[in-house]
Amino acid sequence: MPEKSYKLLFLGRMFLGLVFAYSGFTKLMEPVENFRGAMTAYEIIPYAVIPFLAHGIPWIEFLFGAFLLLGYLPRISALVLAAMSFSFVVLILTVRIVTGVLPTDCGCFGEGSLIHLKPLQVLIMDVCNIFIGIRLALLKSHPFSLATFLQEKPSSGT
Amino acid sequence: MNLRSILTGVLLVLFLAGIIFFIKRNKPAPALPLPPVTGAPGLLKVQGPADALVKLVEYSDFECPSCRNAQIDIQGFFTDYPGKIQLTFKHFPLTSHKWSLYAHQAAECMNRQGKFWPYQEKVYEKQKEWAPSNVPPVQILARYAEELGANMDQFGKCMADVTVTRDIYAEKGEGNTRQVTATPTFFLGEERFVGPKEMQERGENAIRKILGLPPKPVPEKKQAPAAPAFPIGIPKQKVP
Repeated sequence: MPEKSYKLLFLGRMFLGLVFAYSGFTKLMEPVENFRGAMTAYEIIPYAVIPFLAHGIPWIEFLFGAFLLLGYLPRISALVLAAMSFSFVVLILTVRIVTGVLPTDCGCFGEGSLIHLKPLQVLIMDVCNIFIGIRLALLKSHPFSLATFLQEKPSSGT
Repeated sequence: MNLRSILTGVLLVLFLAGIIFFIKRNKPAPALPLPPVTGAPGLLKVQGPADALVKLVEYSDFECPSCRNAQIDIQGFFTDYPGKIQLTFKHFPLTSHKWSLYAHQAAECMNRQGKFWPYQEKVYEKQKEWAPSNVPPVQILARYAEELGANMDQFGKCMADVTVTRDIYAEKGEGNTRQVTATPTFFLGEERFVGPKEMQERGENAIRKILGLPPKPVPEKKQAPAAPAFPIGIPKQKVP
């Protein structure tokens, strides 16, 4: 792969990893009820599954975001984050079609966070994230990553 | 995947989870004990008897549609449990809502004239009129105040008063210390309920528990009517 192309993908990896790690981190720092409330605003999510999702999603976002930043299991992490972005896009579009309106708070980052995005901006970002994630998942080797370091055979001492 | 990778992964997960637990553990508890109520006692926005068993605190934003929807449930609580509920309103204008602060300033000005509750009702009721405005909806908000018989000289001066704005932000700051991030957020003692759905599902049962009542019965599913509820050709109105 040309070096210039990888530099761009490396930036994409950092971006995708940071977005998810930060999003997960802010949710984990807040009371879980805040994220529960944000999810109930998406009226199509069954209420019974919300408590489980509210506990699980922030950890998935944080761990796989951090994995991607560090380059541990980069292909799997990129695929997981692309799948999550895809599910968010489907959710936003379905809610828009079914209810005709979108929640003002997307539930992505809290009010106390540094990032405030409108639903359309979130949608655009998620679409970009899908492409970045898929492209990264298709990449066989990820330079500057923990995966590359772990693949290298330790030199046998004489 | 070799053993080295697996071990690295396990250590990484433990390390990352450790960071989260460490930060959370060393963070001050958000709502325990309850922070002191800010503002002069006369300016508190309280509805319901002081000796009510259930004391609800609501952090709300006038431009937020969910907050408007939640008002129906809140008024329902006052009807269903008369004399048992006390509600304290707290300003929490969200950063993402451009005209919210104007509405909160107007409501706080009406509070200083003893007309907060009818005004907040009006602001929620007419949300779809003033919120989409392209210019600051000061005139619309002033009209609502006039309709409720406000002293318009006082109201006008108050709308330009930065101390009122500071009081609003003080209440928002109080919400921030309690880790309020979305509206409406309700507190019932130490328990929090974010959004109208949570208030309906868990909040009302928490209220009933305090009042010594059994949990709310699950409503029976009604059978679909044989004929369409709305004549064909007439679009169904959205219930606010």
